[in-house]
Amino acid sequence: MSDVVDDTDMTDTASDTAEDSEVNASLDAESDLPPHRAVSRSGRLDSEERQGTPYTESQVIMPTVKIVAPIAFTFGLFITFHGSGSPGGGFQGGAIMAAVVFMIAFAFGIESTRDWLANTVVVALAVGGALVFAGIGLVPVALGGAFLQYDLLPIPILDPVKYGMEGVEILGIAPIVAGVLMGLFFLLARGFNSVGGGLGDGSLDEDESIDESGPLEEDAADAGGDR
Amino acid sequence: MTAPLPASPVVAQVTAIEASLLAFVVLTALATALARDVLAAVIVFGAYSLGMAALYTFYRAPDVALTEAAISAGVTTVLLLLTLAKTTRIDHETAFESVNLPAAGAAGFLFAGLLLTMSDIPAIGSPDAPVWSNPDVTQWYLAESYAQTHVENTVMAVLAAFRGFDTFGEAVVVFAGGIAALIVLHREVFA
Repeated sequence: MSDVVDDTDMTDTASDTAEDSEVNASLDAESDLPPHRAVSRSGRLDSEERQGTPYTESQVIMPTVKIVAPIAFTFGLFITFHGSGSPGGGFQGGAIMAAVVFMIAFAFGIESTRDWLANTVVVALAVGGALVFAGIGLVPVALGGAFLQYDLLPIPILDPVKYGMEGVEILGIAPIVAGVLMGLFFLLARGFNSVGGGLGDGSLDEDESIDESGPLEEDAADAGGDR
Repeated sequence: MTAPLPASPVVAQVTAIEASLLAFVVLTALATALARDVLAAVIVFGAYSLGMAALYTFYRAPDVALTEAAISAGVTTVLLLLTLAKTTRIDHETAFESVNLPAAGAAGFLFAGLLLTMSDIPAIGSPDAPVWSNPDVTQWYLAESYAQTHVENTVMAVLAAFRGFDTFGEAVVVFAGGIAALIVLHREVFA
């Protein structure tokens, strides 16, 4: 359900071709194949001799991350879920859990992490969190109270004030922060394409055109502009 | 209404750890501003944030420290590094920028002006500091937050309950930030 909402949301904000973009978005998500990504990445980055490839398959980093990542993720969960009784909360916990994904991406490659963590997951986290927060706020309004008036929440048995706040922190803020930070990470890793330019085109085509013709001239022009 | 104040954290003087942390933060801030190589500046900026997080912990603001460590030292550094990986790195002969004298003069003037107000600022942890001792805000929250929200962490009680609508606005801002990044980068999918 959040998928549908998400797609319409993004077409409203981000695209002029509303009728095509949903199809394109789903096509993009499916056509992100690892071989294609690998080719596009190395083609782009090998053209810069000063900059090593950002991904090195390191025998030190990978085992370290394998050990640290579960601990850090558990810490993020603790910070999120125990925010009512100790320092922390949804924002900090969500940021820590997103940082675990960054860590995995640095150890095992950004592109393979991108394929492992589908766009649907990232979007569902961000949109779902926003909807849950708004929903918890609006349910009391529907029952005749004020926005976020927790004591009107229809929660059986448990204390509605405490668990309403926990719901906002755990199911609202933490997913929004984690999803948006992961999304920013993947967006920045892929970067800006000036070749395709417009909205609505599949990113597959843009990447391929860059692959064949673009990167040398484009990077040279960029570098020249910088100096 | 105000209950007798709980023992407030009085820090009589700056301890050695605090002093070294403060010096570390100031030095890394200067290095960030003056480093010629952007990569070095980003890494030193991460160290600065880590020092600030430790400092916040010493001043008993663990919530702020967690945010500083996770967002500034961790996430921001990673995002800046990712951006740098997309650019060309220029070899510099010198490690530091030459200081722009008018800018340094303006900054020094501002610093001196701020220094003049130092005598009116209450000591760190002073029980008389207005931010701590006022009965209508801080003490009211400390006294009432558990009774009204049934949550031990007063910071979370303020954020999620008393100022819940503001927090909703912040969450929406974070969400809108993600959408804005999509628009700016001409993307329709995050991953």
